[in-house]
Amino acid sequence: MKKMLLLALCGTGLTWATATAAPADTVKVGVIATFSGPFARWGEQFQQAIKVYQKQHGTSVKGNTIDVIYRDDGGPDPTRAKQLAEELILREKVQFLGGFVFTPNALAVADIVTEAKMPTVIFNAATAVVTRKSPYFVRTSQTIPQVTVPIAQWAFKNGVKRVITAVSDYAPGYDAEQYFVKTFKAAGGEVLESIRIPLATTDFSPFYERVLQQKPDVLFIFGPGGPPTVGMINTWASRLKPAGIRLLCTAETQEIDLPKIGPVALGVVSAFHYTETVDNPLNKALWADLTAMFGKNTVPDLASAGAYDAMELIYRAVANFGPQVTGDEAIGFWRGMALDSPRGPIKIDETTRDIIQNVYLRKVEERDGKLENINFETVPMVRDPWKDEHPE
Amino acid sequence: MSEAAGNKGLAAAPIGLRLASVLHLLPWALALLVYVVAGGYLSLGTHALIMILFALSLDLALGQAGIITLGHAAFFGFGAYAAGIFATHLSNDPLLGLVVATVLTGLFGVFVGILILHTAGVTLMMLTLAISALLAEFANQAHGLTGGDDGLQVGRMAPLFGLFRFDLRGHTSYLYVLAALFVWSLVAWRIMRSPFGRSLDGIRQNPRRMRAIGTPVWRRLVVAYGLSAAMAGTAGALEAQTTRAVGLGALSVLASGTVLVMLILGGTRRYYGAFLGATVYVVVQDFAAQIDPFRWMFIIGIMLMAVVLFLENGLVGLVDVAGRALHGPRSPGR
Amino acid sequence: MLDITILLDGVAYGMVLFIISVGLTVTMGLMRIVNLAHGAFAMIGGYLATMLLGAGLPFFAAAIVAAALVGIVGAVAELAIYRPLYRKGELAQALMTFGFTFVVIAALTTAFGTGIRTLPVPPTLSGVVDIGFRTYPTYRLFLVAVGLVLALLLWLLIDRSSYGARLRAAVDNPRMASAVGIDVNLLFTVTFAGGCALAAFGCVIGAALMPLEPYYALRYLVLFLVVVGVGGIGNFKGSFVAAIALGIIDTGGKFLVPQAAAYMFYGAVLILLLLRPHGLMPAKSAA
Repeated sequence: MKKMLLLALCGTGLTWATATAAPADTVKVGVIATFSGPFARWGEQFQQAIKVYQKQHGTSVKGNTIDVIYRDDGGPDPTRAKQLAEELILREKVQFLGGFVFTPNALAVADIVTEAKMPTVIFNAATAVVTRKSPYFVRTSQTIPQVTVPIAQWAFKNGVKRVITAVSDYAPGYDAEQYFVKTFKAAGGEVLESIRIPLATTDFSPFYERVLQQKPDVLFIFGPGGPPTVGMINTWASRLKPAGIRLLCTAETQEIDLPKIGPVALGVVSAFHYTETVDNPLNKALWADLTAMFGKNTVPDLASAGAYDAMELIYRAVANFGPQVTGDEAIGFWRGMALDSPRGPIKIDETTRDIIQNVYLRKVEERDGKLENINFETVPMVRDPWKDEHPE
Repeated sequence: MSEAAGNKGLAAAPIGLRLASVLHLLPWALALLVYVVAGGYLSLGTHALIMILFALSLDLALGQAGIITLGHAAFFGFGAYAAGIFATHLSNDPLLGLVVATVLTGLFGVFVGILILHTAGVTLMMLTLAISALLAEFANQAHGLTGGDDGLQVGRMAPLFGLFRFDLRGHTSYLYVLAALFVWSLVAWRIMRSPFGRSLDGIRQNPRRMRAIGTPVWRRLVVAYGLSAAMAGTAGALEAQTTRAVGLGALSVLASGTVLVMLILGGTRRYYGAFLGATVYVVVQDFAAQIDPFRWMFIIGIMLMAVVLFLENGLVGLVDVAGRALHGPRSPGR
Repeated sequence: MLDITILLDGVAYGMVLFIISVGLTVTMGLMRIVNLAHGAFAMIGGYLATMLLGAGLPFFAAAIVAAALVGIVGAVAELAIYRPLYRKGELAQALMTFGFTFVVIAALTTAFGTGIRTLPVPPTLSGVVDIGFRTYPTYRLFLVAVGLVLALLLWLLIDRSSYGARLRAAVDNPRMASAVGIDVNLLFTVTFAGGCALAAFGCVIGAALMPLEPYYALRYLVLFLVVVGVGGIGNFKGSFVAAIALGIIDTGGKFLVPQAAAYMFYGAVLILLLLRPHGLMPAKSAA
């Protein structure tokens, strides 16, 4: 036992010695996201938005350099995310953590984030319960219920009576399905069927044939983005659109996928917290800088907004408390904070540390030969409904 | 195997025998050295040790018994979820959970083996793939039990032996995993050198002939597969207990493919092949991903191609080269 | 009527699988080399096609040209990388081709970024066609047609031509084949190139169903392996039947019992292989 203790002490001592301690005026921010594999575009967009932010605001705050360290989790991999978080906290001695494309990765780091009192900004993971798992979590993206409820309500208000939902067969899909069905039924509508489509599906036609058989007014879909989403919308366009079945969704018409889907998406209505065509100076600057720095086809997207606003939070914390800012200081500072984002006005909820923001109802239209989402209605400052329904 | 030849040929020289023993102790000494010196890297080290155990289990099934499997992650994941669910619902004692997970996974392996081991070759490979894919789907859907896509968050393990807390910095975890690896590697060593192990060798090389001399081929394969599954289950359980998170990725085809790559990289049927391959892959991947999170695949890919082009049977070939340089040519090993 | 639609869907899906996987049947089956880089060659063809389409080439021409270019790439790869692998055994081949796939993914990510690349189907193919009782996407009928033509051409080539005879001879007994004057090396190089070209062709043709992005090579590799494996290694008829069968079972199953959709494909594989462990149409010799 004594030997064990001695070894442990040696280990700890050497950990201190070997770990990279940051000099007083460098603040390290660790970003755990996906940079390789099928979801590599998320990490790419995070990095691009962060680079734009740092170009616009400089790479230092009051003389303190903000050093962003990127680590690849490779996809939904809670064990890897945890290891990376441990490395970043213990070895790199970061003062902020950020990133987290996937909910399982965010959930996995909750306990070490709490133990290390590490202020952590969630750039994307959208399952409602995430911010409950650690008092040091703050979210700058959205929750699925938050953006799903408005579209369900809009649908019913606009004459939709019969709906079929088709979601990808994984937890975020179930969330979307649950909240759409609940909201739509409560308003008085009818849900004919709820279909769950395996994530690995390449051919969506059998599911859509079932939909065609039942002839709803609307098909509501939820997909993970990328090839499956493109497939879901394209198959709708070839099978169901000619039969007059409309499509409703949330993030699926996001700007990064829209050109791949093509003109068949024209007229599709969705609800989301970030629309690339939102007309405010921050968004315009973000888009302009993205195209200037990364090519004319770069578009801002929900990933960009999440990362960009997270950097704003971090910069403000360092500006206010200096380079030795603690987790408690940062979290306390961020709670209840209202700020402007490229997406519009946002607020970090005082108690839940989750995001309160506008949800836009928008339609896919063509502008200057390009397909874009154009807002036509705004639901202002929507809170996360799940938290309101499940108080702690 | 060079160790065997070394023991035989150098038994005449007591110095040689000591040398062989020293060589055998080397990996363990290195592992302990890492513990003492590289404190900040313990979670990476623990992960490497777990992967070594996983790769070693694959060597038993694939390298020794010749069972071509693209679905070995099924057992790793099964063990991980078993340990995670056990800790969450029944008892968070680590050793109890480890034993339960190992035994359950071994039984599962026997069950799968009975189902599919009458086939061979590509058919068997496809069946292992199908089983692991179906298990992954089940885990995705049974989210009440497994957490589904969100993953399973495992509560903190009780202190090991009631004494050693699982600390944040990973000291206890590292030594715990190292001990488990040591135990299993001794078992694997014994198995590979036993008559049972020798018969597996024969089955891999020529099953028909083995049948002709009366070996119950199918039964041996099922036992080997079950043992290999149990070993992989331990690896998964260790990962669940030390990282306290289990994700669907543990059951994925990519995980099966990666451990296969690790084993081939190190060298199959060479006892320390699994050790070398898993360690090198884990460490290189971690550092490559730090340098360039987008393009680490490039570095790994080049490394794999180079190893195949320039070495005969994986990285263990480097050890042979070094051995020849030091001792002069020796009789070909196993 | 509905059943015919689902059948048609299943056949169309199976056809895409067949078109892309048949090249793997060639390399893995005929040449007995574990070629995990098949998806990588397909993907290279896809990206070449995007450049050709960008330069103004029509769709079908781009597919053919891309396939030809990838054939050349495949021939070079065969000489440089695969030739030394023949004698090294399956595990070494698996490792090498897997590493090669990683390299290709990383290279294409660097060159083209992480996003999806569209290979837009020409307007003539993207509408619907009236097949009597309903309208059906033209593109899918096109896939079925291409698949059938390809299957026919390959059958003629392998079973009925002297090239095919020489190839089968060379695979069955390389030494004997060289002894009677068949240039085995050249044959292998040409055939491997053909397999890669087929993969590229399939990728371009099927891109509307399986979108092109840098992870394409690994994302769908398992599908290709399964089709080849279930069909019986080295067996064109087998992989054709396997692709169609899996396509129909998968599609039909998902339609009829969507709750079990996730288990359809691999469940079918499991049952098919347990029932017929030597593949659907076991070959007595190659092809």
